[in-house]
Amino acid sequence: MKKLFLVLTGLLVLAPAGWCAYEEKEDTTPSTNFIAEPVLPPGTRPAQKSEGDYPFYGGNYPFYGNVPEEMLPYRNIEPYYRYWLTRLPFYGPGRDYPAPPDLKTLRVGLLSPPPYGPEAVRGEMSKKGVMLAIEEANAARLPGELPFELIEKADSPQWGSAANIAIEFADTNALAFIGTIDGDATHVALRTVLKTEMFMVNCSDPDPSLTETQIPWLLRDFPDNRQQGYLLARLMVEERGLTKIVVFRGNSRPGRMGVRPFVDAVRRLGHPVLQEINFKDGDRTFDTQVAVIKQANPEAVVFWGNPAETGPAAAQLRAAGVKAAFYGFDRLVDPDFVKLAGPAVAEGTTAAYPFDPEKTDPSWTNFVARFQKRYGMKPDIYAGYAYDGAQMLIDAIKKAGPNRYRIQDQMRAINEYNGVCGYMRFDGRSDNIAPIVYAEYRQGCWHYFPPPKAKPPQTAAK
Amino acid sequence: MKTTLNSLTLAAGMVLLFSLAGATGVRAAETATNDLPLPFPLIDRFENFQIKDGLPTHKAHCVLRASDGKLWVGTYNGALVREDGKFRRIGVEDGLSHKMVLCMVEDKRTGDMWIGTMRGLNRYSAGHITTYLQTTSGLPNNVIYGLDIMDDTLWVATAAGLGSLNLKTGEWAIYDQSNTVMHEPWVYAVKGAKDRIFVGVWGGGILEYELSNKIFKEHRDPDRDFHYELVHDAGPVSDITSWIAWEDDILWQGTYFGMSRYDGSRWRTWQEKKSPLISNFVNFIWPHGRVAWVGTDRGISVTDGNTWATYRTNEKGEGIVEIARPGRPVETRTMSTKLPNDFVLGIWVDDQEAWFATSDGLSHAIFAAPPKPTKVADAK
Repeated sequence: MKKLFLVLTGLLVLAPAGWCAYEEKEDTTPSTNFIAEPVLPPGTRPAQKSEGDYPFYGGNYPFYGNVPEEMLPYRNIEPYYRYWLTRLPFYGPGRDYPAPPDLKTLRVGLLSPPPYGPEAVRGEMSKKGVMLAIEEANAARLPGELPFELIEKADSPQWGSAANIAIEFADTNALAFIGTIDGDATHVALRTVLKTEMFMVNCSDPDPSLTETQIPWLLRDFPDNRQQGYLLARLMVEERGLTKIVVFRGNSRPGRMGVRPFVDAVRRLGHPVLQEINFKDGDRTFDTQVAVIKQANPEAVVFWGNPAETGPAAAQLRAAGVKAAFYGFDRLVDPDFVKLAGPAVAEGTTAAYPFDPEKTDPSWTNFVARFQKRYGMKPDIYAGYAYDGAQMLIDAIKKAGPNRYRIQDQMRAINEYNGVCGYMRFDGRSDNIAPIVYAEYRQGCWHYFPPPKAKPPQTAAK
Repeated sequence: MKTTLNSLTLAAGMVLLFSLAGATGVRAAETATNDLPLPFPLIDRFENFQIKDGLPTHKAHCVLRASDGKLWVGTYNGALVREDGKFRRIGVEDGLSHKMVLCMVEDKRTGDMWIGTMRGLNRYSAGHITTYLQTTSGLPNNVIYGLDIMDDTLWVATAAGLGSLNLKTGEWAIYDQSNTVMHEPWVYAVKGAKDRIFVGVWGGGILEYELSNKIFKEHRDPDRDFHYELVHDAGPVSDITSWIAWEDDILWQGTYFGMSRYDGSRWRTWQEKKSPLISNFVNFIWPHGRVAWVGTDRGISVTDGNTWATYRTNEKGEGIVEIARPGRPVETRTMSTKLPNDFVLGIWVDDQEAWFATSDGLSHAIFAAPPKPTKVADAK
């Protein structure tokens, strides 16, 4: 039995990344009674009460997702019930529980993606950001103060592995943990924290549904695919007048869930996407999809996936004569996209992006200098958000002491934060909804631009 | 003329009828409502058990009374059995696979207790523990959120799929995204219901699995939007299912966005502030007959869907019960005792008593004596 266990474990370790990962399938269930959201004429003003009018917001507090008015779901109907008008507190006990006995360090967990999977590079940069924050915090500790200790555990491609790791963090008396990038793993880990009552900081998962589960033990500082989708919709439809749009996305949860806010937003702007075409993670040739897209003759193709697939797909679309402009979310700025697509194909590609990494504000430039000194390389956005997330958690632990419940209170009370990545603003879900930018690839490099402004409505409310 | 007279007579009769009905309503409203029958028993007082009373930890996750009369409690630090007025702890040192016990179910035919933990499944049989892990058995994942037994099958809700163990053959089957309609195998609860099982899926609503036909059917939130409940009573209140319960042909869904009820043809939904449900954050539902006992983060709501009683702590720190009857003002009574904590994670109820697992101890509820039958009831 022991031998069998070792063999199975060995097979798991040798399995390729994504071996057990989610793969989408046809929805064959006719049982659902979904409400079809109507496509309203462009410019239709919402009939809903503005959430800015609700007392909690006081006209200032950021509402759910910072959804642009013209992209509100079902905006011609006043919903029966709204969620996230207030940020859900944790009502359970624990704030007065004593610290664990014989505490020698303040443990913080780090759930990293598998070191051999598609998120490995981003995971490594996140880890470097977290480690730098911990090292700096320890260097600033006064004599007699307990040091911070980082416990890193890497996820495996086996389904549900992240849940087991999250339990291990609890077993080792970690006060909180940071992670991870993959949407499936992060969701699985999140479900455990409700039971273990341990705060989770997410710095890199773009899944828009992550913060929508009402678990009050989570904060995400990474601008998610919801924010990126809204920006792209406004830029493409309102500012650039593109209406014939095709989505080309991964056949995976990140592809399915990630692109949803964009698809919904352009439909609400009156221009539903012409087609939503899938590819499988690992695909390198896309003959069928390219033929379908060419037939549709779109003005724009929006990629939602990793550069290993979107790079070759872009090249094959151009080779087939598709002249559409290329758009996508922040993964297009990954150097592999230009490398795999080729600079000529990538020319003019536009991507939503959290912030301008070439910015010159001292907070960012000082961080870049410290990071370079420590690791001999420039940080990317994943390192930056990981550093900021770790810093927020360190501050919370300093204020709360070694008590998971008081740490939760501190983290969920954060409305705004100025980090190395810039200004952050957290909504009722503790999700960062600060404005983001977009990037364009021109003449061999990415250029960054502020977000487009909302256009005035075309028709008055009646 | 005859028509006019008849119309006048009818109108006068209706005025008289409405007046009488109104007068009756006023009298009823003016009368103390304490004696009006409720569709469920009221709790008279709570007997609480906390660390000072022998519990090994603050947090109790689940509770049940086994068919031999013994009380079992799943806690953050082991399983407890109450014997001779004392708690006996079963922990990792006794062979339990992990200290955090989330769920339990008894095989009533054998008396075996199946114990779901944060790392593995355990069978407690005649004092001996057998452990099932994902690396040593067909268990889909080590994190176990829910258990149920139907006939010869143990159903296991895990972080990565639904598992079934044939208790006669020892054969496992796994139900996940590869062989069911669920998009992600994030299973949170499972409940047998005659010829089918219901599966609570995190983000996937509720799956209904017909055992004989091997057909899965989905019940999903109709508006597909986490931000709103667009219209009420249209389907499950949310796709993020935290618990499901079934009894007497009624399915109850707990979510962190409110609660739903499905009778096979019609859905009803409830949210805090729009209904007497004390909180949207529903941790657990125990069905007893057609009544749901609902554990939330702010107390317990009990309802048959129309009449409600809610047990919670008020702003003064007193235990209260709020009784909401259709068409009547809410009646609030102060209690002499209260729950050890309003964050309720597990419930067990029968006709005689109720037990509550809370975030700060265990509570035994003693029911009040039922009110004396009214004359109307006597006449029936």
